[in-house]
Amino acid sequence: MMRIKRDGFCLFAFTVFVAVSVFLIFSGTSASEETKKIKLPERGISVAPEYTGVIVSQDEDVSIDLIVTNRGRRDENIDLTVTSIPKGWKAWVKTYSFGITGVHVESDKSKNLTLRAEPDEDLAPGKYKFGIEAKTADGKLTSKSQLIITVKEKKKEKKAKGINIITSYPVLRGPTDAKFEFSLEVENKLDKDSIFNLTFQGPENWDINFKPAYEDKYISSLRLKSGQSQTVAVEVKPYPFEKPDEYPILVKVSSPEAVGEVKLTVALTGTYKLDAGTANGLLSLNAIRGKKANLSVYVKNSGSGTLTNLQFLSFKPENWKTEFIPEKIDTLPPGELKQVEVSITPRDEALVGDYSVGLTAEAGKVSKTLELRVTVKASTAWGWIGIGIIVLVMAGLVFLFIRFGRR
Amino acid sequence: MSGLFAVFKKELCDHFSSYRFVILFALIAMVSFITSYMAGIHMKENLEALAKTRFPFLMLFSSPGALFSMIQFVAFFGPLIGLILGFDSINRERAQGTLVKLVSQPIYRDAVINGKFLAGVATISVLLTSIVLVISGFGLALVGVVPGIEEIWRLLVYLLISIFYISFWLGISILFSIFFKGIATSALASVALWIFLSFFISLGAEVAANAVAPADSQNQTKPEIIVKNMRIKETVSLISPMVLYSKATEIIIDPMRKTTGSIIMMGPMEELLSSRFQNPLTLGQSMIVVFPHMTALIAITLICFAISYLVFLKQEIRT
Repeated sequence: MMRIKRDGFCLFAFTVFVAVSVFLIFSGTSASEETKKIKLPERGISVAPEYTGVIVSQDEDVSIDLIVTNRGRRDENIDLTVTSIPKGWKAWVKTYSFGITGVHVESDKSKNLTLRAEPDEDLAPGKYKFGIEAKTADGKLTSKSQLIITVKEKKKEKKAKGINIITSYPVLRGPTDAKFEFSLEVENKLDKDSIFNLTFQGPENWDINFKPAYEDKYISSLRLKSGQSQTVAVEVKPYPFEKPDEYPILVKVSSPEAVGEVKLTVALTGTYKLDAGTANGLLSLNAIRGKKANLSVYVKNSGSGTLTNLQFLSFKPENWKTEFIPEKIDTLPPGELKQVEVSITPRDEALVGDYSVGLTAEAGKVSKTLELRVTVKASTAWGWIGIGIIVLVMAGLVFLFIRFGRR
Repeated sequence: MSGLFAVFKKELCDHFSSYRFVILFALIAMVSFITSYMAGIHMKENLEALAKTRFPFLMLFSSPGALFSMIQFVAFFGPLIGLILGFDSINRERAQGTLVKLVSQPIYRDAVINGKFLAGVATISVLLTSIVLVISGFGLALVGVVPGIEEIWRLLVYLLISIFYISFWLGISILFSIFFKGIATSALASVALWIFLSFFISLGAEVAANAVAPADSQNQTKPEIIVKNMRIKETVSLISPMVLYSKATEIIIDPMRKTTGSIIMMGPMEELLSSRFQNPLTLGQSMIVVFPHMTALIAITLICFAISYLVFLKQEIRT
């Protein structure tokens, strides 16, 4: 009993302790915030770059955030100057869009500006010190800071090139009758604007053109600002009778100052084209119902790839029969012609008249359909039997005339 | 031969001068005109249909004007011409006693029947040809379409079949006039036979077809059974010369018709592919389709004449 009571007391004491300490912590922080506000000096500014030292390669521009802070209780207009600019550099303070000489900063706030430094072309590697000075409008307060840019030597050949050409897909593959389109990204690495001529070296008789990306006009030169890059499409139409192979195309982008080259490759797989027809071009056929009618059809591979597994199908009325000899052709090399004998048998009870019968030659990727007009005719056999009957009756009549006449 | 010619000439004279013939001709000509006039008006109103067909001229004969087309009219009432021309040809001569006088002349007995039959055929030919020509002229004036060679040939074949068809009925009536002594009896007998063959056979055919393959329109009957039913009906009704004649002429006059059957079984592919080219049949093909019908018509006409010839020559005529 006693023991439990003491435990209860302990718990109570602990709770009180926690409550008091929490209260103390809270009141303490609020007190310190208030004192800070009060502690702010009447006036105070500072300026500092985000990074005080950067390393860049030659020819590279530097943009660094510049933080201007007002520590005082008053809002300030602060003038900014770049006090020391090393030889061979240009430097200025700017916002995202324009250069500035001063900025307004509210009390206890800071502003981010940009310090932009551009080196000359032939700048030697080394350390360069930039001084930045901030001064209130009335000139009473100043703040200074410095930035050190270390310039490293750049690789020589990249510098010499001046043009950067990037292509994601340098090899395209497709049939001969397709249109290939390469996408090149041309970047002007020169320090000045320039006009670049676009030229190519490709297989003979090919149709190669340059187009701006997503635009439907042909271009032969391109104007790029310094540092700008643009996508150029190279449209390639192969010569229709080219053999399946790989064909390199050398694309040259040149300006008086620099030349860039890129090798594109078109891999042709050949075209698949099938022609079919009859020797005399007639697509009509006479058939007597129930009797076979024959027709010679040729199939020709007029593409540049070999056709394999050539099959024949027919689209015909029910109960009609079509036969192909041969039933299929295993391989048909380009330019080759083969003859197929087709026999069509109309149904016994088919009506006389014209029917459409479709013959299709199919080789996987390609197919060719011939529509035939099949004129079904009735057999004349019954006609002759009918004439026979009439002749028989006439003969009987003549017999009667001779036998019984003249009485 | 001179005897045959004399009888032929006299009979022809009699036919063309008789009131009976004039009235009959006037009636038939009038009905034919009206029919084809209606057809012409109908064609004028439906010029799209006229543009679709490749043989507009034949439509004058085949398209129904008011109630029936020209060819249907000839099929129904053409037999009457034959019957009226022949029902009293022999027994009237016999009743009036002129037959004995006739054969006492230097005229052979076969010349009498041959001459009478030929005169009837000649009359029928003149009648039908003139009707067809008048309708053609009428059509030229009314519709303004000129018949092509193919259409003229089809009309000629049509004319030939029609002459044989009516001649068959002429032969029947001559046969009855030989069989029966009374004029009224032979007239009645031939009209009865005409009515039976033309109107009752179709009823009989239906009864026969329903007995063999009952096809009820209410029940869902299999298409095979319906086709069988139709086939039996059509086969049985072929006994009627009228059916033979109408089937033959409708194929000859309408080049787009490909079969005499009214119902045919066709798969969907067959239907699709046969409707791909809407070409008319050539005259030769049309004729082959109805060759059995044409043969049968010509044969029964000749057989009918042969029987009357035989009976007449074997008959005792002097009493």
